[in-house]
Amino acid sequence: MARRTSLPVTFVVPTIAILLVLSMVPTLYAIVIALQNRELSTPDYSWVWLSNFVDLFLDRRFLNAVWVSVKWEIVTVVATMVVAIGLGVLMFEVASPRLRNVYCLLFIIPVLLPRVSAAFVWKFAYHPLYGIATYPYRLVTGGLIFDPLSKPATALFAVASVDVWQWGLFFAVIVLKLLETLPPQPIEAARLDHARRWQIHAYVTLPMLKAPLISLMFVKMIESLRSFDLIYVMTRGGPGVATETLDMYAFSQGFIESGKVSYASAMAVLMMIATVITFTMLWKRVQA
Amino acid sequence: MSAIVCSHVDKAYGATTVIRDLNLSIEEHEFVVFLGPSGCGKSTLLRMLAGLEDISGGEVSIGGKVVNDLDPGDRGIAMVFQNYALYPHMTIFDNIAFGLRRQKVPAAEIRKRVDAVSRTLGLDPYLGRKPAELSGGQQQRVAIARAMIKTPKVFLFDEPLSNLDAKLRNHMRVEIARLHQSLKTTTVYVTHDQLEAMTLADRIVLLKEGVIEQIGPPAEIYLRPANMFVAGFIGTPNMNFVEVTVGRTGNGWTLTGAGTVLSIEGRGFHLRHGDRAVLGIRPPDLKTAGAAGILQGTADLIEFHGNDALVTFGSGGKEISALVPARECPALNAPVRYTFEEEAIHLFDATSGASLRKQ
Repeated sequence: MARRTSLPVTFVVPTIAILLVLSMVPTLYAIVIALQNRELSTPDYSWVWLSNFVDLFLDRRFLNAVWVSVKWEIVTVVATMVVAIGLGVLMFEVASPRLRNVYCLLFIIPVLLPRVSAAFVWKFAYHPLYGIATYPYRLVTGGLIFDPLSKPATALFAVASVDVWQWGLFFAVIVLKLLETLPPQPIEAARLDHARRWQIHAYVTLPMLKAPLISLMFVKMIESLRSFDLIYVMTRGGPGVATETLDMYAFSQGFIESGKVSYASAMAVLMMIATVITFTMLWKRVQA
Repeated sequence: MSAIVCSHVDKAYGATTVIRDLNLSIEEHEFVVFLGPSGCGKSTLLRMLAGLEDISGGEVSIGGKVVNDLDPGDRGIAMVFQNYALYPHMTIFDNIAFGLRRQKVPAAEIRKRVDAVSRTLGLDPYLGRKPAELSGGQQQRVAIARAMIKTPKVFLFDEPLSNLDAKLRNHMRVEIARLHQSLKTTTVYVTHDQLEAMTLADRIVLLKEGVIEQIGPPAEIYLRPANMFVAGFIGTPNMNFVEVTVGRTGNGWTLTGAGTVLSIEGRGFHLRHGDRAVLGIRPPDLKTAGAAGILQGTADLIEFHGNDALVTFGSGGKEISALVPARECPALNAPVRYTFEEEAIHLFDATSGASLRKQ
């Protein structure tokens, strides 16, 4: 028995070992640093244990960052799923098969762009004087200035729109393909059962796709956590702290403003714990 | 008043015509079966009645109302699909109630009607389950319940028993027949299984390549097939066909072919001296003969069916089959002789395939 199982082990162990080193060493080191008071300006440090964490909960800018992160997560995930399902169903209902392929091709292009490129493209599109996205406003109001990225009320939504533009359209393609894989008979049966078009989707097709749609949502939730590059290019967390998510704040505390790497690490550790707990709970909930 | 009338109905997908100038009228309470080989357009025709396929030309009316442009839900029909087409995420109760809920029927009445229907079909114990937890036969019964509860003017069945195993198929066939006896709802039933068609139908519509070959009660289609296609399609084992030449002798006729000459009175047929014709004879109509056999040869294949045996032999270079009682079954490679009555034969025109029988 032992002989027979040794070969897979031989192959798997080195890979697992490398992965463990790559993932565990930085994680453990971050935890260690979070318990110290290291700063970039000096090599001296001492152990402060949990005081970084205590400070964080007294830091109003940190609490703002938590709130911005939660808002960002909810806005991008909900908007992406709404756009994906809405557009997917719309294409399924009105577009001919050939037209569907054209739309699919178009809708995949945004997600193929590197996020930084997409961010620069849209940053310019939102430019108050020259941007194409703000052009209709200037046209209608006779030249009034609208700068969505520098208004605290709109900045988060303006950045989120880029995220939805990339992922919502891509997911719309996936939703369409999922709808196309469904057997046609239940849909036909629903038509015979007096269901309107929207009722067919609300009561039959989308419930039949519940499992893949939930998986898609999870993918998007994880993806939304990694939005640093987009926010960094478009607003750098501004105006003020209106779009400063946890990773933005940790970055600026660690490297830009004060070089407090231990303080930043404490934030990263908290984020990790919160993420692991939230996702485990959600996953369990969905599985049940 | 006819329940369903199709007049000059066409169906084309692009340049391909699937159904051509089809005229059909189905009476109220009638059980009509569309029968034909695959690709004959029978399912397409049914789906056109249901409103799931557009009608390319002509007019379809149900209950005296033209339905060409009506939505499937507004045609007063209910349909049962081959693969059941249940809503997999809903319980059996919700599956059956779905149509009524969409019509905004009050909840108390829905409960009452679902209870009544599920009692009729023996589905009471399963109302809380999901379709995947039921067997194929039970699922099809749910599909029938879902159709019944709408109290439609017309039931449409699209090969409902094809996914079931042979035993269950017989059982469900009897159930469908009983259901029709008690409900008397006009029914259109599509199948490629002639046994289902023969046993269930008041009238069979036999289709080939989108054209009706013959319409009539099962017995008429079996006993008086209008052409060679119908004769060959209906009846198991298949009818034997022998090409013959017609000759006139005194006050009778001779048919020459397959190494034999057959004398008949020929009163029931339109015959002309020198014509080429096809003689059709069903295997069960061949009887074992003594010295005076009409067809003879060597038994080269014997298939045992239980009560009967199918004996295949060559006669004048032509394969012919005879279905004989098993106890009369000859040994393999033994010489065999068979005879038949003149009433049992069918004659068809050799070129058009149309029956030569006088109407």
